[in-house]
This record gives sequence, structure tokens and C-alpha cells, in this order.
Amino acid sequence: MRRTFLILAVIFTILSVVFSVLPFDTFALAPIGLSLVFIFIAFRKSSAKQRKITKILFVIAYICAIFVLGKTFLIEDKVAIDNQFEQQKKDAKQEAKKELEDLENDLK
Amino acid sequence: MKKLLFITATILLLSSFKTENTIGIPSGEKLVFAGSYNMSGLMTQLAQVTLSTDRVSTAKNSYLHLNCELETFAKWDKFFKIRDLYESYVDPITLKPSLYKRSIDEGGWTKKEKYIFKGNSVTSTSKTKNSPETITTFTIGGATQDVVSIMYKLRTMDLSKMKIGQSQAFIIVFDEKQVPVTVKLLGNETVSAGNLGAKNCYKLSIGAKTEVLKGKDKNLIYLTADAKKIPVLMKFSIPVGTGQLALTSATGI
Repeated sequence: MRRTFLILAVIFTILSVVFSVLPFDTFALAPIGLSLVFIFIAFRKSSAKQRKITKILFVIAYICAIFVLGKTFLIEDKVAIDNQFEQQKKDAKQEAKKELEDLENDLK
Repeated sequence: MKKLLFITATILLLSSFKTENTIGIPSGEKLVFAGSYNMSGLMTQLAQVTLSTDRVSTAKNSYLHLNCELETFAKWDKFFKIRDLYESYVDPITLKPSLYKRSIDEGGWTKKEKYIFKGNSVTSTSKTKNSPETITTFTIGGATQDVVSIMYKLRTMDLSKMKIGQSQAFIIVFDEKQVPVTVKLLGNETVSAGNLGAKNCYKLSIGAKTEVLKGKDKNLIYLTADAKKIPVLMKFSIPVGTGQLALTSATGI
């Protein structure tokens, strides 16, 4: 049983690291939460001598949680400067003006 | 003297019919929203939605250009980049559309759509990636709006005279189909409105006979309870999940 929870704790801790690095924001808290649950269960089922791994996993999961919460609350989400999109908007507006003029001529 | 009195009285009488709780849509307005999607019970910010207005003039007419842009935040662009542009060119007073354009690019999948409104007829031109262009013409009702102009049309409703639970019906045209939409007043609620601070808002439920919106009273829009009726929060429930658009910045209002 201990081994099972330890394996699950390792898997979800790895997922926590991956999700924390990717731009999933608070979605990363899901694997982090699960990893902490499995780490806690594995820790409780371990003897004093066997707890080193769970302690290391806990530190990693804790750092991931801090990192994700820091990203969420301290870093403002921004859109990239997209020159192609800006040009597309200008072109669309100019095209629309011609289309409106054509429509006005049709409605004469 | 009599003429002057008659003219003055007429002006005053007509002024009294102007609803105190409604003003026109200004040109130069810009509303910026943060769009979030519910992923496993947690709201994750994905994109920015910008609603803006400006004037476009031809030789004969002046139109109000209603612009709606959706752009994924920079951190998501590498995974799934979205650049959507929805536009409507409307009469500045009645908000009746003359031209509607939609250009979407979602993860490389593109679609361009254009509706030309001529009286009660719409000529639709549609082009999806890797498919040929299609042109269709269909008839609409005199009060039919497009998906962009309806958002502004809502803001011209005099909600102060509506009772809680009362609905108003609209028809919009989307994906070349007319879709009946109902707007129901659910009440008032104080909502955080970005740079405007906490605002008392009308809470409206949007219902439509379409598969795009799911649930009863799950699609909500909050408009400030004043003459401007700025949309400050929108909550949506669609087949793939739920999410919201929260106002972060309002300028030119």
C-alpha cells in the first residue's frame, strides 16, 4: 500500500512540475493538490527512516504551488503585440468602407 | 409668440419621452475584458476580449463601427493561438446593422463570414479553411440584429422599467440562421468592474434556442445600473464548459 501511494505521489509531483512550467495557471493546482494528498498518505504509512523521499516530494510540490500562485497573482496576463493582426484589422475596416459604399450604390 | 410657445412646448414634450435611463452608444469607447475558462473547477485566464466603437463615414452616410476582438494571452499563443475579429457597421441611432463581418483564426483553423443587410434580406458570404466560398441569401425580420450589435442594443433597453422576471425577445442572425434570443431581468447585484470599481448592476439572463448556450439562467450579463449600462461581467455556459468575461478596463465611456 505504501509503495502504491508513493508511486502515485511521484507521478503527480512530476505532473505538478510539468503543469507549473506550462501556462496552465490555476489548472496546475489540480495535480499539485493530488500530489500533496498522496505525499501525505505515503508519509503517514512510512516509518521514520522511510520518510526522506516523501519530504523531498513535499518540498517540490510546495515550491510548485508557490510558483503557480505567484504567477497567477503577481504576473499580469498580456496579449502579444501582433502586427499581422493589427494590419488585418486595418485592412478589414478599409474593405468594409468600400463594401458599405457599394451597398449604398445598390440601394439607390 | 404663439408659434414660439408651441415650438418650445413641443420640444419639452418630446424631451420628456427621452428615457432617463438610456443614452446612445458613444464612439471611441473601449472595454477590455479578461476571458477565463473553467478547467477542472478552477478559472484559468485564457484570452483578452476588447469591445470598441468608432465612426466610419462614406460619402453618403456615417456608421458606428462596433468591433469585437478576441486574442489569447501571449503565454497561450504557442499552444493554441486565437485571433478572432467580429465587426458590425450600424446606424448610430437605431443600431440597425448594414454590414457584419467575422474573421476567426483559432489554432490555424480559419473562417471568414460577411453579411450584407439590404432591407429584410441578408446576403451571406462564407469561407472556411480548405472549403470553397459559399454565397447565400435569406430573409430576416426588420428588427434582426447580428451577434455584435445585439450586445449594444441591450444597452439601449430601459431596464429601470422592467420587473424582475420580465423578459424581452430579440432575433439575431448567426451562422446564417435566425436565432430567437430572450433577455430576462433577474435582479440587481454589486459587481467588481475593473477600473470602475464596485458597481451596482442589472443581472440579465440570456436564453437562446441554440445548442451554443446551455442551461437555464446560466448565461448571464451584468450591466451597470446607470444610463451607460456598461457590461462588466459575462458568465457563459457552453457545451465544452463554463467561463466568464470580466471587465478590466473601460475608457471613452
